[in-house]
Amino acid sequence: MKILVPLKRVADPDNANKVKIPASGEKIDTTGLEPKPNPFDEYALEAALRLTENGQTPKVRAGEVIVVTFGPKECDTTLRAALATGADRAIRVDTTDDKLDGDLVARALKAIVDREKPDVVVMGKQAVDGDSNQVAQLLAEYLDWPQATFAATVHEEDGALLVGREVDGGVITLRVKLPAVVSVDLRIVAPTSVYSTKTARTFKYNDGVRFAALPAIMAAKKKPLVELKLADLTADVAPKIVYNAFQAPPARKAGIKVKDVADLVLHLKDEAKVL
Amino acid sequence: MSDAFDLENPTEEHRLLRNTLRDFVRQVVEPQADEHDRSGVMNKALLKRVGDLGLLGVTIPADDGGAGMDAVAAALVHHELSKSDPGFALAYLAHAMLFVNNFYWASNADQRERYLHKVLSGEWVGGMGMTEPGTGTDVLAMKTTARRVDGGYVLRGHKALITNAPDGDVFIVYARLDDQVTTFVVERGFKGFSTPDKTRKMGMRASMLGELVFDDCFVPSANLLGHEGKGVGNMMRNLEIERLTLAAMSLGIADRCLEVMVKYAVERQSFGKPLVEHGQIQRYIAESYAKTEAARALVYTVARKVSPDTRNRLGTDASKLFAAPVGKEVADAAMQVLGGWGYCDEYKIERFYRDAKLLEIGGGTLESHQKNITKELARLVSG
Repeated sequence: MKILVPLKRVADPDNANKVKIPASGEKIDTTGLEPKPNPFDEYALEAALRLTENGQTPKVRAGEVIVVTFGPKECDTTLRAALATGADRAIRVDTTDDKLDGDLVARALKAIVDREKPDVVVMGKQAVDGDSNQVAQLLAEYLDWPQATFAATVHEEDGALLVGREVDGGVITLRVKLPAVVSVDLRIVAPTSVYSTKTARTFKYNDGVRFAALPAIMAAKKKPLVELKLADLTADVAPKIVYNAFQAPPARKAGIKVKDVADLVLHLKDEAKVL
Repeated sequence: MSDAFDLENPTEEHRLLRNTLRDFVRQVVEPQADEHDRSGVMNKALLKRVGDLGLLGVTIPADDGGAGMDAVAAALVHHELSKSDPGFALAYLAHAMLFVNNFYWASNADQRERYLHKVLSGEWVGGMGMTEPGTGTDVLAMKTTARRVDGGYVLRGHKALITNAPDGDVFIVYARLDDQVTTFVVERGFKGFSTPDKTRKMGMRASMLGELVFDDCFVPSANLLGHEGKGVGNMMRNLEIERLTLAAMSLGIADRCLEVMVKYAVERQSFGKPLVEHGQIQRYIAESYAKTEAARALVYTVARKVSPDTRNRLGTDASKLFAAPVGKEVADAAMQVLGGWGYCDEYKIERFYRDAKLLEIGGGTLESHQKNITKELARLVSG
């Protein structure tokens, strides 16, 4: 199986409280925050690797995993890390975040899919910086492919994927015929979430994403990484969403102490108006 | 800037390795550290997991199944592991540096064929026997002897304070043959070889310490490592990367303890203000930071000049002589800043404090480094 995995580099999500918005409101300032791969995209890569191997012999790839990102030269580090983890080759579309929106990324990805002809696009359900959650859906629409979003489990079948989605009250299972677009949720990296047809259903993965092995880190620099121009992928490079200003949410006010239950009820009724 | 020179990560591969290790240490190593400190048992499953990541052969060329990386990478691995579990890092060091690295550069093709795969995967645990009950720093006064017999050698003697002795499967052993130090590979199961009960100790409890006893132990000729009488060369070459990686462990301890003490001092209030605003506390924090950064600069500068083909005795002795007390002093400062909470186990400082002391002793006492450095400097003057 040939799988395309789009990856996004985001400002360290563990320190998201440290982003600043300058008084001008023109942008979100992430200076000083370490760039990291979007966690949901790392989960997507792990799912793609599981789908292209026998879990018992993870060093042998059955098929091909191609990673793609949109960003400046510094994003090569994110791609090299993905190559060290097991992806076969990488594509970087040279641009910067402020020139993109979800729709433009989806249209550019469509052009890459048209060239690469993967069997499936596996991607994170959303990036943890903008939280837009729209690229997978837009891409499926532009490709006119079936889609399964927020996948918690994926089992490979002949010519199709059986995708489990967690919903209120249970799990819905969808069978999507290939080619298809799948976006993944965090439970996709649980030990028994993803099985290729080669992996025995009794096999259990380590929980979480795999770690790059040291020899693979050394070999990653020999794997192909090509750079493309956004304009080569789509004639219309203008984003549809234009941000006019950014504003931090108002700071939370300190709470108050109430005298007794009667006082509490009064406040809930008159001020909070929840009673 | 990403293009600026980064002493700790001179290449993209080093940076990738460090990022991977940080994730691995946070998710896999940290959660098991307290348990193994308390039980005093080495986590063999973790060593195997580390083997799956290719870390047991950091310095072994890729053609022979290793990662083909340099001494900087070896220092990096010990540094990062020691931020969570210096005890495990020591067991790793005894395996990957004292056995695997030492063995590889001294072994022949047949020996590599027989042993390398088993120790690179972590299927077998390795160790090294140099110190004896009566000889530590004066290592060349060792009393363990070897004599030639039909088809091999017979070893007689006793090694002590050997990391990984209780659960090791294979050891590099130094013994006198015709009064010349010679290196042998001894497997558990060789007739006349035994490892009595583990030796109890203050810290580094996630690695096990014990004795190697050779009671007329027969070692086949095929297990002579290198040449008869040439053991000192193996020993000295390997001592360099051993000292460097031990120094990197002290740096990891200092990094962790500094992080804990600063966080605590920001959060904890005393006399109506945070601890960080008290001058006495500022001295602990600022001096710990400066010492840690100095140790980092020395360890990684020296690491760039350590390789199997070059000698760097001065640099490696200096890095351990300087970094080991820094690890201990920063752990001590952290305990002082945390007060009673530092002495209790919740913040883990007491574990790092116990672990840190070993590095002033193991792999060369501070006094041995002082002796070596002075001797070398004097030799450069007098020729």
